Amino acid sequence: MNHNVVVVGGNRTPFAKAGGPLREASNHDLLTAALDGLVARHGLAGVRLGEVAGGAVLKHSKDFNLTREAVLSSALSPLTPACDLQQACATGLETTMYIANKIALGQLDAGIAAGVDSTSDAPIAVSDGLRRILLAAQAAKTPAARLKALARIRPSHLAPQAPSVAEPRTGLSMGEHQALTGARWSVTREEQDEIAAESHRKLAAAWQEGFFDDLVTPYLGLAKDAILRPDTTVEKLSALRPVFGGPEGTMTAGNSTALSDGAAAVLLASETWAKERGLPMLARIVDAEIAAVDHPGGDDLLLGPVAATGRLLARQGLEVSDFALVEIHEAFASTVVSTLKAWADEEYCRSLGLDGAIGELDRDRLNVTGSSLAVGHPFAATGARLVPTLAKLLHEKGPGSKGLISVCAAGGQGLVAILEAV
Amino acid sequence: MSVLEKAFHSPVGRKVAARAGLAEPPVLRRGRTYPGGALVLAQIGEATLGARTLDVLGRPYEAPVLDGGEDVTPGYGDRIGAVVIDATEVTRIDQLEHVRAVLRPAVRGLEGSGRVVILARPAGGDWEQRAVARALDGIDRTVAKELRRGATSNLVRVEEGATPADVASTLEFLLQGRSAFVDGQTWAVGHAPSVAGISERPLDGRIVVVTGAARGIGAAIARTLARDGAEIVAVDVPAAGESLAAVANEVGGTALQLDITAPDAGARIAGLVASRGARIHGVVHNAGITRDKMLANTDQSRWASVLQVNLAAQMRMNEVLLDPAVDGGVAEGGRIVGIASTSGLAGNKGQTNYAASKAGVAGLVEAMAPDLASRAITANAVAPGFIETDMTAKIPFVQREVFRRSNSLSQGGSPVDVAETIGYLLDPASQGVTGQVIRVCGQNLVGA
Amino acid sequence: MGADTEATARREVRVTDASGLRTAFVRAMMPAGRAPARVPSHSLVLEHVVQDPARLAAYDRVCGFTLRDSVPPTWLHVLAFPLHVRLLGAQDSTVRLVGAVHVRNTMTLHRPVGVGEALRIEVHAEAPRPHVKGALVDLVGAISVHDETVWTGVSTYLAQGSHVAGDPVDLPRDHFEPGTPQGLWRLKGDLGKRYKAVSGDPNPIHTSRVMARAFGFPRPLIHGMWTHAHALAQLESRLPDAYTATVGFARPVLLPGTVGYRTAAHDGGWDCAVTTKDGARPHLLMRVEP
Repeated sequence: MNHNVVVVGGNRTPFAKAGGPLREASNHDLLTAALDGLVARHGLAGVRLGEVAGGAVLKHSKDFNLTREAVLSSALSPLTPACDLQQACATGLETTMYIANKIALGQLDAGIAAGVDSTSDAPIAVSDGLRRILLAAQAAKTPAARLKALARIRPSHLAPQAPSVAEPRTGLSMGEHQALTGARWSVTREEQDEIAAESHRKLAAAWQEGFFDDLVTPYLGLAKDAILRPDTTVEKLSALRPVFGGPEGTMTAGNSTALSDGAAAVLLASETWAKERGLPMLARIVDAEIAAVDHPGGDDLLLGPVAATGRLLARQGLEVSDFALVEIHEAFASTVVSTLKAWADEEYCRSLGLDGAIGELDRDRLNVTGSSLAVGHPFAATGARLVPTLAKLLHEKGPGSKGLISVCAAGGQGLVAILEAV
Repeated sequence: MSVLEKAFHSPVGRKVAARAGLAEPPVLRRGRTYPGGALVLAQIGEATLGARTLDVLGRPYEAPVLDGGEDVTPGYGDRIGAVVIDATEVTRIDQLEHVRAVLRPAVRGLEGSGRVVILARPAGGDWEQRAVARALDGIDRTVAKELRRGATSNLVRVEEGATPADVASTLEFLLQGRSAFVDGQTWAVGHAPSVAGISERPLDGRIVVVTGAARGIGAAIARTLARDGAEIVAVDVPAAGESLAAVANEVGGTALQLDITAPDAGARIAGLVASRGARIHGVVHNAGITRDKMLANTDQSRWASVLQVNLAAQMRMNEVLLDPAVDGGVAEGGRIVGIASTSGLAGNKGQTNYAASKAGVAGLVEAMAPDLASRAITANAVAPGFIETDMTAKIPFVQREVFRRSNSLSQGGSPVDVAETIGYLLDPASQGVTGQVIRVCGQNLVGA
Repeated sequence: MGADTEATARREVRVTDASGLRTAFVRAMMPAGRAPARVPSHSLVLEHVVQDPARLAAYDRVCGFTLRDSVPPTWLHVLAFPLHVRLLGAQDSTVRLVGAVHVRNTMTLHRPVGVGEALRIEVHAEAPRPHVKGALVDLVGAISVHDETVWTGVSTYLAQGSHVAGDPVDLPRDHFEPGTPQGLWRLKGDLGKRYKAVSGDPNPIHTSRVMARAFGFPRPLIHGMWTHAHALAQLESRLPDAYTATVGFARPVLLPGTVGYRTAAHDGGWDCAVTTKDGARPHLLMRVEP
């Protein structure tokens, strides 16, 4: 039993900054919107699908069955089952692999993999009331209005603490970790700002040429990614002050991803099912590999994907040059730079148990329609954004074109996957 | 809402309006429903086409009451639902008296939303015959204006050689509530080598592409065609994506976010359909925009955008979709439907660009029809008059009320009326209808 | 509606904003004497009502709807509600909101309404009708966008103690059969406060135990329109884009409390019942028809 698994298509909401145009939408609302758009794009209204797997990193306890609830609110048949998975920023790619594996084993004909996060609706472990007051204060235009909003805070609002965004075992935030990694790999400010500017430029160009017309459905009046700044340049970015790594740091708000709101979904199917229904087949899911580093022991937190990539390429007998396109999730511009430096570093790769360096990547093949720095990064959604984006790009390049996705995640983990155009 | 408008809708306003003869407009019969009362068939001369066509439709009919010059005009006992006048053998002026004799009792006895349908021949033959053909036109248009309570009159020119099977879908449409806002119109039905039978769900399993489907008339078209069995590919600009997705999910169709002015628009539609291993049955070019200004104030950009979206884009798409070599293009026996406008046919102040584009659509389908006949593809247009939509709601109140009242049905049409007419043209049984422009205007020549 | 076209002109009073509502609220809350039922003959109009997405989101959360571009019809009722208060709080009204029991409600969504659409909201009262327990008053609302009517609603209140001359009319009786609930709603004590915050209905009977007791209830009651909205939210993905929802409020739901819910597709629409938790007696019966 080994069925070919194909990416039929995808859909996502536009992504926006926390507290931005999608701030009122909950994870449930966003995920339902992403599912409804996907269903409409592929004519699946009322259809019973094998399974929907979704997840969110920041989840309210009441959302324990988030994905199934969104299915029930969507245009899919209510007989469609669902489950929630979570693997930090790799969630959307992990749900993809979960559904793909079930299809490959013949357990499902078709399914949807999804991810969503609302950092506006984050389950800070304080009362809902305080969160709303803080949001109102954040949105207030004048200091007086802000004070007025904050004056509504009552002692009862304040009891518990927000969960720390820091890694539990190191106490360092993800940005602080990456600052250490950046310093270790001698990542310069210029390299990072260059990556960030390119991300915005490429994303703007892709929107301009209508690339996302069949990958994004507007939501709540927002038709395009709201974080995108088409006029961003290296010069403008170089004026920003560092936010991680102290006063001498090189990581700024411009070359780090913003906290974001959004949802994304991928339709996966066996080749047979897609053919029977006359649905497009963009790319085949070839293989995936997950790895982790010992960050409490001092490893680079966000370089988990390097070992995964090395092992996956070895297993598949592929070289870096075999990939027409590569998507490396831009958690920070510095992550992308250090990842590529690590790929090319013989000694580092051997330390991971690989036979040698993974190789050098031709930068023209990297993140060609922009990535998380410009699009935004609703944690769990990113993987489900990357899969259909890359599948469509590969499909345009022609059958047989291969692509690699690399996503780093909290806990020192990394998930990578290979797609091949049908 | 303006002050005037509120006054008009106030109870006093309504009373004043009623005295001024502006009665509450009748509620029109709609949908796949036949009239409630009896169907009367008047056969003039040796004509049998009408009778045979009603047999195809399985509708029983009665003989007409004739006005024979008695002192008291004879009448029908109960109100009748429709009168079909088979005038296909009428060639002489004196035969028109027969038409009068049928119509006089009939128009008095017709129920609300009743129907007068005249079957005639295209103008041809000798001088008298040609004069008579036009005379019937005059009768139809005038009867349409005199009929009250939502009743309509229309004339069908049946070409020589056309069979009852060719005419059936047209007569069915005209008798049913689907033609509610089609009034005082004339169009032609010809013979097609093979024609499908009449069906309640004529579009079952057929793919129909509707552009501009996210809202208004386009959404109504998608719903109506889905009711008739069509698999809808709903197309609209990416910015309208959320409404488009809602419409597509509601009708169980597929949403395609696409700017129809993009050079690859036709190819992308074909690509989607081809991936399903299918071809298109019908394309409804509904997407359209207005950029109204008096000509004196119309600049190049207002001109260009309207002509691009409303006319040039659909020509470009047609070229791709009608190419037999293109996978996922229009199938043999397919349908192209354009949306013209009465503004284009009659002209409308402040809409030179729009009128140009919409008259252009009428010209386009007339030109395409003969060229596509060999592949059994028909090309037609509907020309909506005053239809109540978001777009028309922007017209100032007085002008809008004038538009509403100045047609034979004393009201604006509904988006459904346009949709039903399109459904009739898409019907595989309407194979003999091509190159026609059908107004859905309640017999009004003004409107957006 | 036939009768009112013959009535004298219905004056339209344009209300500019919601700020003057407080006085009307206070007056609408003052119990009326045993006066003959009289309601204002004018209609109230709110022009260009811009919907607040944040408030809609909060409303959706409290009632259980998914936040979408198109809004629930019960939300449109909430937008029209201040005009109910104002109308019944007018000096020429002897019918008061306090003591008036919301017994029936019908609303029709004519087409999907987007949260981005600016609305014109109009509400008027129909002449009171006699009822054995008092007078029935219909408040009729219409919401339009540009010139298109997108929503209509009729809220029937029973003004207990009020009277109108004439033979008492009966309310339509909704058919109810006891049955096992498909679901139980466990309603917390603060639900009245939460719904008040999003609906702007200030009636203290929903939030205050003291006030509830004053009206003969042991505990506060949840707003009938919350129950209506929550019942509708259970159907959400099945609802077409235009439909009519009719509800009869059979008996109030006390807070905190647990009620039963069941629904069944029937005759091309849905019948829903909110019942006591054993399913024996109805709190609310709802019929939704495309």
